[in-house]
Parts: sequence; structure tokens; C-alpha cells
Amino acid sequence: MFQALFTSLLQETTQRSLWLAGPELALTAGIVLLLLGRLLGFDKLIPPHWIALAGAMAAFGLSLAIFYSANSTDPTAADEYFGVYFSGLMTFDKFGALVRLFLLLFLVFVLALTVLSGIPDAEDGPDFYTLLLGAVVGMLLMCSANNLLMVFLGIEMASVPSYAMAGFLKGRKQGSEAALKFVVFGAGAAGVMLYGISLLAGMLGTGDFQEIGLRLTVLFGNADGTLSDPVRAATIRTLLLALVMIFVGFAFKLSIVPFHFWTPDVFQGAPAEVGGFLSVASKAAAFALLTRLVLAIMSAGTASLQDLYLILGIAVGVIAAVTATFGNLAAYSQTNMKRMLAYSTIAHAGYMLMAIAAMMVLQSGRIGGDTSLAERSSHAVEGLLYYLAVYLFMNLGAFSITALIRNEIFSEEIEDYRGLGYQAPVLCVGMGLCLFSLVGLPPLGGFVGKLMIFASLLDAGYVHWSMWVILAIGGLNTVLSLFYYLNVLKTMYLTERPAGATTVTFPAWSSAGLYVMLVTVPIIVLGVHVQLVSNAARRAAEVLFLQ
Amino acid sequence: MESVGLNAYLFVGAVLFVCGIVCMAIKRNGIGVLMGVELVLNSANLNFVAFARYTPLGLDGQVIALFVIVLAAAEAAVALAIALNFYNNHLTIDVDRGSELQG
Repeated sequence: MFQALFTSLLQETTQRSLWLAGPELALTAGIVLLLLGRLLGFDKLIPPHWIALAGAMAAFGLSLAIFYSANSTDPTAADEYFGVYFSGLMTFDKFGALVRLFLLLFLVFVLALTVLSGIPDAEDGPDFYTLLLGAVVGMLLMCSANNLLMVFLGIEMASVPSYAMAGFLKGRKQGSEAALKFVVFGAGAAGVMLYGISLLAGMLGTGDFQEIGLRLTVLFGNADGTLSDPVRAATIRTLLLALVMIFVGFAFKLSIVPFHFWTPDVFQGAPAEVGGFLSVASKAAAFALLTRLVLAIMSAGTASLQDLYLILGIAVGVIAAVTATFGNLAAYSQTNMKRMLAYSTIAHAGYMLMAIAAMMVLQSGRIGGDTSLAERSSHAVEGLLYYLAVYLFMNLGAFSITALIRNEIFSEEIEDYRGLGYQAPVLCVGMGLCLFSLVGLPPLGGFVGKLMIFASLLDAGYVHWSMWVILAIGGLNTVLSLFYYLNVLKTMYLTERPAGATTVTFPAWSSAGLYVMLVTVPIIVLGVHVQLVSNAARRAAEVLFLQ
Repeated sequence: MESVGLNAYLFVGAVLFVCGIVCMAIKRNGIGVLMGVELVLNSANLNFVAFARYTPLGLDGQVIALFVIVLAAAEAAVALAIALNFYNNHLTIDVDRGSELQG
């Protein structure tokens, strides 16, 4: 019997799991090569960024191949192709394939940026790229997690290298302070989340996502049981406690109020390249994981659970609205570009969390028996995915242009950007596009993303009116955010360059100029050709709501 | 020997968890905060092992506990390196002295 088990495990691993985990393996191979290069001394011959870039490209190629094969697999054979792998710890579907594709594309862009801006010097290169690739492996695990263990493992694997990257520049007071704050907050949040996971896993007797919803239904029995039953009330309290604790861990990763304190400090203290990486990649992965976890918990349920889920959905919506408002208000008074972008990151996490809230409210209605809601809540996830795709380019653009300007004028203060618009047009026009897209002005991609999320909020309002309030707050926030983003552009274009300031010459047809164009052009493309990504996003979102 | 039952373990775990949270909240010394984190992680571990013994979670709980031990070690290594870096720049490990980044 043991041999049969072993053979089937071996078959599953070699024939299916290893291929699906290809991108992770490629990145890991890159890490091993980087470390061996240090050990054997061939890092002098081959620069570490080429090794890292080769690993990232290989991983991206593999994930692209997996993505296409996932989308071209005919639906009849789909059952064998999709589903869990690595004996149930991970799962594979179009959703995971798409987010992994985003993340690896982003990794390639970040690596190119570090090569152009030269932030890890030749001495530190291997260490920096090892950490960067390691963090991305953790994020890839987060996208396809199918077990509570993998939730914790993925989040920690993504976080621990990020802590080190935040304090990467040695001998900088600000950098070391940022890293210490990051690690203290992060480790605390991870500990609380782990305790929540232990409660949930212990209560349900499983960590498997497919099982969670069913066990909850069993635990809460038939619809006629009331909440006044003391045993049931205690179970509900434990469930709530566990869910809140798990949400703390996510709120930290997503920098959601009231767990956002680290964000501005870390983004200001860390190099802009690291800030850009953290603000996009860790958010995308955490949102993918949050979507999976929420849907696993809400996949089935009884009437008493339905009310609970509706309340949770509204609570998440309120937190999202508070987060967006706080981020936008705090961004006003900022004088440092990176710090302002950090607050804008908080605000955008709020917008994206609104999509999750809309999905939760719609799902709670679906448990009530309205089957048409499955399709409608898949639109919320579609909006979230589209927003993430646009956010990848616009936020990376803003951070990378901040880094490139820093290399020219050695400052990240908004005040020092005065009159830069006429000296470095490529940088400033690119920055303008990114900022307008962050506001959400048409015809840029940010507009479409926001429109999709707001549309699903409008739809969720038919289940519960509070979503319309959230929608109104979201709309108001968009208007609010216009002013502080425009302030940067006003400084760049409407004020004179002060006498004695360094003259910046930034040729458009240099590799850095081309990089800026490469990052900013997709923002316009995503705003005009919505179908380009929205079709893939819709297909990816639909599979989550099949059962 | 008679077993004390699941609740006794969960109670010890909860006490450890609260101790860890209080430690994180009131300690000003960076190393002290990290010790609080270790307490919290280990309280969760105790839960997992207890659930593994008394509930259908079974071996999964023990496997998770093993993974958490490894991750806690990795996290402690990184955190101590960062604390050392902070000390090199500030000549103190008091977390309140990190006040350059504000606003």
C-alpha cells in the first residue's frame, strides 16, 4: 500500500506539479546561481543583474506558457488540468495564472529599473537580487495558495526579504530606521495572523480551502438554529476572532488603516526602487490571496452565516472607505515625493479593498439563494484584476521616475522639482501620465479600473444600501486626490527653475528614456483598449465562482 | 496518565499570546519587542500542536508547527540583523529613538 501511495505521489509531482510550479522553480534556480556566483567567484565575470534577469525572464516565459495553455485547454479536459497540485497545498486556475503573469512581468520591469538606476552597487548586487527573487517566490506562492499553511508561508516568504530590502543601503540612518519599523510591525502582524489561523484551523479541523466552507456549514448546522444558543454563540465569537486576526495580517500587507503606520516611513526611508516593488507586488499578491481566502470561507453557508458574512462585507467596505479617505487627506501635506506616493498607495489599497467588499456583499446575497449574483460578484474580481494591471504600470512609473529624477538632482523633495518640466520633458510627461492615471482621469487606464470597481459597488448596493455610501465616499476621494497629484505637476511646469540649481539633461533616446516610455505607454493603451486585459481578467474571475 | 484536555492547552496558549502582545506594545527595546513576537508565534504553535492531538486537524497541525518554527528562526535572523544595523547607525536599540521619519 505504501508503495502504491509513493508511486502515485511521484507521478503527480513529476507529471503535473513540477510543470505548474515552473516559474517558482526558475526563480529559485536564479537564486541558487546568484549565491553560487558569490561562492565560486563567477559573479565578477557575469554581472549578478544578468543572472537575476535571466531567471526572471525564464520564469515569465514559463508563466506565459502556462497562462496560454490554461486559456486554450478545451473545457472537457479542464478537470484534469486545473485544480489542486502538490497534494492539495496549492491550486491552479486561470486566476492564479493571470496574477502570476502580472507579478513576473513586474519583476522584469523592476530588475530593469535597478540596472538603469544602479541602486545595488556591484558589491551588493547578488544579495539584493537574491532577496528580490526570494520575495517574488513568496508572492507567487500566495497567488496559488490552497491551504492555511500556505497562506502563512507565502506571506512570510514575501515579507522577510522585504524587511531586509527596506534597510538595504548601509550607513543610512533613515534606511535602518525604516527597516526596523517594518520588521517590528510586520513580525507582530504575522504573529497575530498565525494565531488567528491556528484558531480557524483548530475549529474546522482542516486547513484546506476546498473544505473550509463545507465544514463551516456543518458547524453551524441547519438554518433554524438561532444565535442565542450559547454554544453556537461561542463558536460564532471564535470564528469572528479568528477572522479578525487573520485580517490583521492582510491589513498590514495591504497597508490598510489602522495598520498603515509603517508604509510612509518605509517608503521614505527605503530606496524608491524598493518602494515601487513593495507598493505594487506585495499588494497584488496579497489581494489575490485575500480573494481566494474570502471565497473559500464564503463558498457555502447557512442563513445565520449569511448575515455574518453580510456584516463582515460591510465592515470591510467601511474600512476601505476610511483607508482611502485617510490616505488622500494625509497625502496633502507631504513635501517628500516618496512619502506622498506612500500615502497614495494607502489610498489605492482602499479603492481596491472596496472591490473585495463589493464581492463579499454580493456573495452573501448568493448564499441567500440568488444564483445570478455569482456572475455579478465575478465582475468585482474582474475590476480588481484590471485595477491591479493598471496599477502595476502607473505606480511603477511614478516610483521609477522618482528614482531617475533622484539620480539627476539628488533629491526627492517635491520642492526641488521646480521647473524640471522643460529640462527633462520625458521624465515629467511620464510622471504626468502616471499621476493623472492615479487620479483616474480618462482616457487613461486608471479611469477604467476605477470605473469597474465603482460599477461593482453600485451593483452591490442592490444587495445592501451601505455599498452606495461607500461608492459615494470613493467618488469623493477621487476628486480629493486630484489636488495633491496636480501639485507635483504644477511644481514641475508652472514654476521657474531656481537660479543655481543643477541643469538636468535627460535625453529621450537613452535606455532610461526608453524605459520610461515603455512603462507609461501601457497606461494609455489600457485606457483605450480595455478588451486587451479585461477579457483575460473576466475569464480569470469567472473560474473562482464556478461551484 | 490522564490527559488534561484541549482547553488547558488553549488556555496556556492564550496566556502566552497576551504576554507576547503586551510585550510588543510596552517594550521600548527593539530586542524586547522581537521577544514578544517570538512569544506570539509560539503561542500559536502550542495551539496547533494541541489541536493536532485533540481535533481532526491531526498531523496537519504538527506539520504547520514545524514550518512555523523554521520561519520564526528565519525571521529572527533577519530581525536581529536589522536591529544591529539600527544600532550601528543610532548607537541605541530604543525603538522610540527612530524618529527621523515622521509627518
